[in-house]
Amino acid sequence: MMDTSEIFQHLLTWTPYLLGGFAMNIWISIVAMVIGTGIGWILATLRLSSHPRRVRASLVATEFSRSIPTIVFQFYLAFMLPSEILLPYFKHIIAFPVWIKAALALAIAVIGFTSDNLTIAMADWKKGDHHAAFLFIPSWTSYALIIVMASSTASIIGVSELLSRCNTVINATGNTQLMLPIYLYACLFFFCFCYPLTLLMKRISLKLRIRYGMTG
Amino acid sequence: MMMTKFRPTYYLLSYLLLCMLICLHFPVARAANTTEASAASTKTATAPSSPGHSERLALIRERGAIIVGVKTDYAPFGMLDTNGNPEGFEHDLAADIARRLGVSLRKQSVTGSNRLQKLQEGVIDLVIATTGDTSERRQIVTMIEPNYYASGVTLFMPPAASIKDWADTRGHLVCATQGSYYNRIMQQRYLMDLQMYNNARDAKLAVKDGRCIGYLFDNTAVINDLANPEWKGYKAPLPPTLNTPWAMAISKDEKGSEFERLLGDIVADWHRSGFLQEREKAWGIAPSKFLADTHALWLQKDSDGSDYCRRNTDGNWRAECRNQVFLTSTDVGGLAQLGLWLNETTGINLTLIYDSFDRMQFVKGLLTTLLLTVLCITCSLLLGWTGAVLAESPLPLLSAPALLLGTIGRMTPPLLCMYLILFGFGAVLGESFGIALPAFGVVVVCLSVYTGAGVMTALLDAATTYRLKHAGHGDFRLRFSNTSDIARLASGSVTASLINVSKATMMASAVAVPELLSATTSIINERGNVGVMMNALLLTFLLIIFAVVRIMRRLEQKILARVA
Repeated sequence: MMDTSEIFQHLLTWTPYLLGGFAMNIWISIVAMVIGTGIGWILATLRLSSHPRRVRASLVATEFSRSIPTIVFQFYLAFMLPSEILLPYFKHIIAFPVWIKAALALAIAVIGFTSDNLTIAMADWKKGDHHAAFLFIPSWTSYALIIVMASSTASIIGVSELLSRCNTVINATGNTQLMLPIYLYACLFFFCFCYPLTLLMKRISLKLRIRYGMTG
Repeated sequence: MMMTKFRPTYYLLSYLLLCMLICLHFPVARAANTTEASAASTKTATAPSSPGHSERLALIRERGAIIVGVKTDYAPFGMLDTNGNPEGFEHDLAADIARRLGVSLRKQSVTGSNRLQKLQEGVIDLVIATTGDTSERRQIVTMIEPNYYASGVTLFMPPAASIKDWADTRGHLVCATQGSYYNRIMQQRYLMDLQMYNNARDAKLAVKDGRCIGYLFDNTAVINDLANPEWKGYKAPLPPTLNTPWAMAISKDEKGSEFERLLGDIVADWHRSGFLQEREKAWGIAPSKFLADTHALWLQKDSDGSDYCRRNTDGNWRAECRNQVFLTSTDVGGLAQLGLWLNETTGINLTLIYDSFDRMQFVKGLLTTLLLTVLCITCSLLLGWTGAVLAESPLPLLSAPALLLGTIGRMTPPLLCMYLILFGFGAVLGESFGIALPAFGVVVVCLSVYTGAGVMTALLDAATTYRLKHAGHGDFRLRFSNTSDIARLASGSVTASLINVSKATMMASAVAVPELLSATTSIINERGNVGVMMNALLLTFLLIIFAVVRIMRRLEQKILARVA
């Protein structure tokens, strides 16, 4: 059996490597949030349009993005999209790494979320209820944290993020006694990142609601 | 969150859209096939022996590097050294190829379950990853001839195992890795119940934890594991069977290209020069009969002094120097014949429909997924509800732990939770108490805890809102009996959480639960019909989600109506 100090020594040695993996989780989430919010915003605008056809098209797209399971879509993109494209005339290689595919798959879920929630916020804004519209910000941030959590599934398609780096470390050290501490350590990463932000968003949201008498 | 009510027409439209997507994919496949065929015919008409231009080789030269898929979990053929650097027998082969091409080498770690997919995806240029050369795989990729090594399959078992014969494995749970050529044949021949893992490490740990009677693995790799002190006392007494040569593989489009020719010549040179035997010795691998035989064969000379093993005018090696022992393909008849005809004329490979083995695997996956979904939804709701009631309790002894567990549950990614419990705690439990955790149960627990925490938060939020809204109810505390008061406030987000858990059940494939995604990738590994299977998977899942959404919404309305 390894003693505690030895385990801590191991964890400390691998911390920079694991932190690099966690940075990948956050990076994937940011890209997914940016793409998803952008497209979701377009859908929300369409939903508030006066043309019934645009509204319907947007509703179908929203429903579609809400029904697709992220993990299936991640596999779908990993299988179906090429990993690099050689442009025939420019002799230039465009890389299409696997983390972009993971981010795109996560973005699909963000599209549905943004389309639903931004529609409400934009309708509130139009009504002149600006404070209610601001509620979008805390709920958007909370959703971003859900996406950070979901980004760990990218390990299944081979993105070198925190979870897959944990597995790499276990493989490299060949030490199965390290498994429990290292997975617990990874849990701590997620917790330390998500907990403070969740508390903050909860507080902001509650303050907004109480100050402007929005309790519904 | 706003819950817009959708009429079925929207769903119908969505599915039409998806069907269009699928139809779009097929013509592409067909077009690719025809161009391939016409290219082949022009080739045979003009210059039969000169190899075709290779897009891939152009890409490699442009890039200045060759990307080779190698293993890191198959010592001594491919592994990580103590500093985490990849090395091994096959890594030396990759390095020699890069050296001969005059480009740098980029290694990409692959596993038995993803090596051929990565090749198809185009992520890697070449696979040297203990790949058995079988006729099924030749339909998916281009195998480089001659073969460079050979192995058979045996069973890696714990010290206490009493299996003496392959026939004894009948009906037992046996661990295996996805994508091994022998999985299907062993399953059919000995009626063993296979539990598929993504990599060798997970499968060996499953044997250690007692989740299966043994691990079905190449005899070449098992020998090395048995020598490792970590596996002291473990054994592999069954005679290796299904002996199969290994080949390097490149993409299917590269068949007959300059790239294939170049690689084949390199391997031939390895056999002649004794490079392979020299590397085998350097890595401490027991001398293989295969290498000794091929070395002798490739050194043979014809009576006129030229090499006995040389290429014919069609570019293939002389028949005597080629792989003779192809595993038999599946018996053909009835529905299968129709399927093969469809495959040949359109490029659509619907093994899912005509092959009973694939069909059974898919249906079993579907049932597992449905069972997971129902269990996870039920457990999440019960856990979340109980958690919320406990958290609202006036006793801090109850509320504090409930809130803490809820917060931790919500901030632990379910996949990480599965690894943590199954491998982390599972190893400790197995070692100390001999208890083996069932993967299925662990998945249900992890998904239910995560979703339950979401349900709990939704209920607590609703309770807060209720207190704010009704000035007279400032002292409202949630109990099982008064949940109806906040049902309307909470129902939207609770339903949304429960619908989400049905999408997350796919994660179970990562820990060898044979659900839909796992079944699909198994079939793809065997058949290479990526397009068909991925579309079938997506469509099936959309239908499942559609059904779950309808059922959950209906239940929600019934409950709300009763409450009101």
